[in-house]
Amino acid sequence: MVLERTQTLKSLHPLAWWAWAIGIGIAVNGTTNPLLLALIALALVWVVLLRRSSAPWARSVRAYLILGGFVIAMRVFFQIVIGAKTGDTILFALPEIPLPDWAAGIRLGGPITAEALAYTINDALRLAVLLLCLGAANALANPRQALRSMPAALYEASAAVVVALSVAPQLIESGQRVLKARRTRGTNTKGLRSLASVILPVMADSIERSMSLAAGMEARGFARTRGLPVRGSLTLMISSSMLATLGAFVLLSTDFRLLAVGCLVIGLVGAGFGLRLAGKRLAVTRYRQQPWRVRDTVVSGFGLLAAVVVLTIGGLNPNDLSASLLQWLDPQALFPSTDPLTWPQLSVPMLLVVGLVAAPLAVTGKDRIDVTESVRNDTMVRSLRPKAEILVTS
Amino acid sequence: MTSYLGTVPDSHRQRVSLALASTIIVGATSFAWPLFLAPSSGMKPEQAVWVFALVLPMVLATILAELTSGRMDVKALAMLGVLAAFGTVLRPLSAGTAGFELIFFLIILAGRVYGPSFGFALGAITLFTSALITSGVGPWLPYQMISAGFVGLFAGLLPKASGKAELALLASYGMLSAFAYGWFMDFAFWPFGIGNSTQLSFDPAASPLTNLHRFVLYNLATSMGWNLGRALTNAALIALLGTPLLRLLRRSARKAQLAGPAIAASTSE
Amino acid sequence: MITFDQVSHTYPESAQPTLDRVSFSLSEGDLCLVVGPTGSGKSTLLGAINGLVPHFTGGRFSGQIRVDGRDTTKHRPRELADLVGYVGQDPVRGFVTDTVEDEIAYGMEQLGTAPMVMRKRVEETLDLLGIAELRRRPLTELSGGQQQRVAIAAVLAAQPKVLVLDEPTSALDATAAADVLSAITTLVHEVGLTVVLAEHRLERVMQAADSMLWLPGDGSVRHGGVAELLAQANITPPLAALAQVLGWPTVPLSVREARRRATGIQIRPRPETPTSHTELAVGATDLQVRFGEIKAVHGVSLELFAGTITAVLGRNGAGKSSLLWALQGALTCGGEIEVAGQDPRRLNANQARRLVALVPQTAADLLYLPTVEAECGQADVESEASPGTTAALLTRLGMQLPPDRDPRDLSEGQRLALVLAIQLAAGPKVLLLDEPTRGLDYQAKAELHQILDQFASNGTAILISTHDVEFAAATSQNLLLMADGEIVAAGPTADLLTSSAAYSPQMSKVFSPVKVLTVADVAAGLWDPRP
Repeated sequence: MVLERTQTLKSLHPLAWWAWAIGIGIAVNGTTNPLLLALIALALVWVVLLRRSSAPWARSVRAYLILGGFVIAMRVFFQIVIGAKTGDTILFALPEIPLPDWAAGIRLGGPITAEALAYTINDALRLAVLLLCLGAANALANPRQALRSMPAALYEASAAVVVALSVAPQLIESGQRVLKARRTRGTNTKGLRSLASVILPVMADSIERSMSLAAGMEARGFARTRGLPVRGSLTLMISSSMLATLGAFVLLSTDFRLLAVGCLVIGLVGAGFGLRLAGKRLAVTRYRQQPWRVRDTVVSGFGLLAAVVVLTIGGLNPNDLSASLLQWLDPQALFPSTDPLTWPQLSVPMLLVVGLVAAPLAVTGKDRIDVTESVRNDTMVRSLRPKAEILVTS
Repeated sequence: MTSYLGTVPDSHRQRVSLALASTIIVGATSFAWPLFLAPSSGMKPEQAVWVFALVLPMVLATILAELTSGRMDVKALAMLGVLAAFGTVLRPLSAGTAGFELIFFLIILAGRVYGPSFGFALGAITLFTSALITSGVGPWLPYQMISAGFVGLFAGLLPKASGKAELALLASYGMLSAFAYGWFMDFAFWPFGIGNSTQLSFDPAASPLTNLHRFVLYNLATSMGWNLGRALTNAALIALLGTPLLRLLRRSARKAQLAGPAIAASTSE
Repeated sequence: MITFDQVSHTYPESAQPTLDRVSFSLSEGDLCLVVGPTGSGKSTLLGAINGLVPHFTGGRFSGQIRVDGRDTTKHRPRELADLVGYVGQDPVRGFVTDTVEDEIAYGMEQLGTAPMVMRKRVEETLDLLGIAELRRRPLTELSGGQQQRVAIAAVLAAQPKVLVLDEPTSALDATAAADVLSAITTLVHEVGLTVVLAEHRLERVMQAADSMLWLPGDGSVRHGGVAELLAQANITPPLAALAQVLGWPTVPLSVREARRRATGIQIRPRPETPTSHTELAVGATDLQVRFGEIKAVHGVSLELFAGTITAVLGRNGAGKSSLLWALQGALTCGGEIEVAGQDPRRLNANQARRLVALVPQTAADLLYLPTVEAECGQADVESEASPGTTAALLTRLGMQLPPDRDPRDLSEGQRLALVLAIQLAAGPKVLLLDEPTRGLDYQAKAELHQILDQFASNGTAILISTHDVEFAAATSQNLLLMADGEIVAAGPTADLLTSSAAYSPQMSKVFSPVKVLTVADVAAGLWDPRP
């Protein structure tokens, strides 16, 4: 295809990267073997370092590494201070402080065992590597390209996001300009009042900007081919998402697994279908939308396969296996025991999983200048961030 | 109350209300999973978050498609984009400084002026844009979008008031919503925050009440400072900037509304 | 192509109709100029062509407009997008996406153009406007002229039959404006578009125009030939003013035509203004301003004298703004600055503004209070002046602004006056103005000229950065020419402007080699009794 022979489209489809990362995430979720987790993490970082572009988001993986380290440190800290006591191998002991009754009988400190620490570290490592999977997807997938793949039903919402993305750096410039201009009026306004003197002109300016933007969009035929929503699409979408929620509820609170998964799948498929239906009212076309190609399927497949391998092995019953097969597959190696303490083992299928993590290297080329220069503007917003804190889980 | 959706027929309004109501139900269920996760299901607590991270995007897609498509005129959409850009710029400015979060006051004020639907859309889209631009996409994103959306949604449903009373109302709502946002997010991500092996961890085998008790302690111990910081920031910003910002937003709402009748008159031939 | 039939429009919250029973028609392939003072309804007239008025703006509308047979009252602007391309005043504010290519494709996406066709048309449009090398660049990083061309390309890609442009060059320097205007004339001649253009730099386009719409300001519109209408209009580009002074019945549409007509007319050169070097107000040596790797100002030395108006001319990005901000002490910079024995950089902001006042390019950046009155009161406090000082200054500037008006509802000229009053309340010895003429019409510029003269005669040293050669010629006594962060020429305005090719005002071109700058000079040279 002649059309595809351009820089932007050389890169992998962003959703393919996401599918790959989510697959690995599922695999990671299915193990606490620290050796396997460490190898997967190494493979992830390796892929990211070799395949990331020069775009600002490509640097985000470092923040996720820091975040992972932070998660492990916090978990260990909580385990030491308020951890549940398991195992007998006492490493050291802290003075024990029982809290009053209203605090549910919690005891601070006390003896710290190797078993409890090992369990915590394994578990925290799993979360850290999971975060790294997300970090890898964030670093490799072009978010703007992904935005173009939004379903048509969300066209207006994604238009608002596009507007926000392009206006954000302009707002920073306008803020800097106002800040500079403020000085020429003297510094008699202090503290929070001076905050008003900066925020208000920028805000007023941006509101006026939204009016001229709206005029521009209207004059250029924004969503012109828009009709009324297809009848029934909302009903379908709402009932589907309710069904999916019900499925999730049943899945978590009962042991009717089949019913639950059924509801979930039907709900999700129904919602997807509803979105398609709702999108029909719109006939807008997309300029240079990234096509989904064989390579994208292959890379997604790697992630999916990694998940399938780990889940299949994890689901095996060791008693059903012959000795040689057990030697080969060893389902227990995915969850090495920490009480009693054992040294984690690697098995052949685990190496296969690590291989699948690194596999995209074989089918993708190095992204050169694959990103449009516009993303330089994103750096402005990112540079406002004082620390590498990405998760606002608090 | 002025609303960009003010001129839509009743049937549309019903649709929007229906969609918002179902979002509230699904949202509440997904945040409350620690209350109903049963050990017999064989699901681990971390998996619960993922299950709902799968369901929530569908709900968000449903509600955002309903709120924006066909109903919101181009002025409201542009305003949505510009205000979301404002929040996107303010969010990284404030991250990391103990709860000093600058985005919520804007979502609250906009929700108040432009109504619940706009408030919800603004909350959700602000968090989405911000995540795109700062590489913060993950399973937490749908949770953040929906809870920030609720902050804007309920701001739009606050009772009528004006002058000082309105400011006081919004400031108290700002404090309340800051705590609620923190609690809901912490509750849903409980096992991620602290793991499963401490005395303050979620325990699927324990009763919901015991778990709630534990959660309160966990939250007091770990996030009180953040939540309080966020609450105070909201209240202070609303008290200080509320009046002029409300005036600015209302002025633009009035200007956008003025266009209504002329269009109706000139196209109804 | 475009027919207005008894069109009237009144904005909401306004008693006077902006357009009052307007009728005219334009034929296909015409280039029509729309002229009139600020507030006369130019933008309303242009917006009515694609239905933004009244569908988007609201208000009471009557009459009928047909564009290529389509009735704009029955079609919303989005339904006319394939017929009328509309480019608003400030292109940056109308951009929806963030790269050149995406922006050009945006309109076609909305119209549902097939992807293959879209690719082809994007390429064609990029070439047509000569911006192919910019395709991947972020829109915010482009220069003003490039942004304007992208905005035009973005509407052209949808292949409209009519192109409507609202003051496309108001924010551009002379060179960029010439680029944009020549691109527009090319479109008229080679693509056969019908173009309706509101433009205040008439001197550059009037020779290419087929007809003109003149809006005197009372709601009426007159349609006719450029030369005839200009002779009557209250819009006076220099050549029109010259025609009035010399009593020509029609206005010459180009310098070339004016030169032919003016042969034989003897005028005396502008009298040398004695360079009365009064008190030195500002002395700066070897100023250096850097932004990262970029040297915005490089080794600039200058002197400003009390009671003198100095203009800085140069392209956009030549370092004019940075120089002004540096002189105010608001930028970190190397070199020496001395204002009345003090260095503004070492003073705190309050003391600095009592020494040097600066009016920034976007005057609205300084305004944040709800009413004119509140802003004036706040300025009194900031300047530690007695209450009412700023309001009194505003009156002295000849502006009667309603005290309860929101500053954002003021016109450009009024807002500029308000900010001037706020900054002058501190009683500074030096006044710096950054691009003050942006968005001002001929009359507002003349008023600003008077205000500046008044303050200069009271002993204030004034420095204006501008790319408006005619304004600099009329206002300033001294001139600095900046390029690439350096001052490339400095001296009396009359000497510099008459000897420059790029920066000579039209009168100088018409009467070259006689040294005249403005129509006033010509008038003085004529009426004076010959020696």
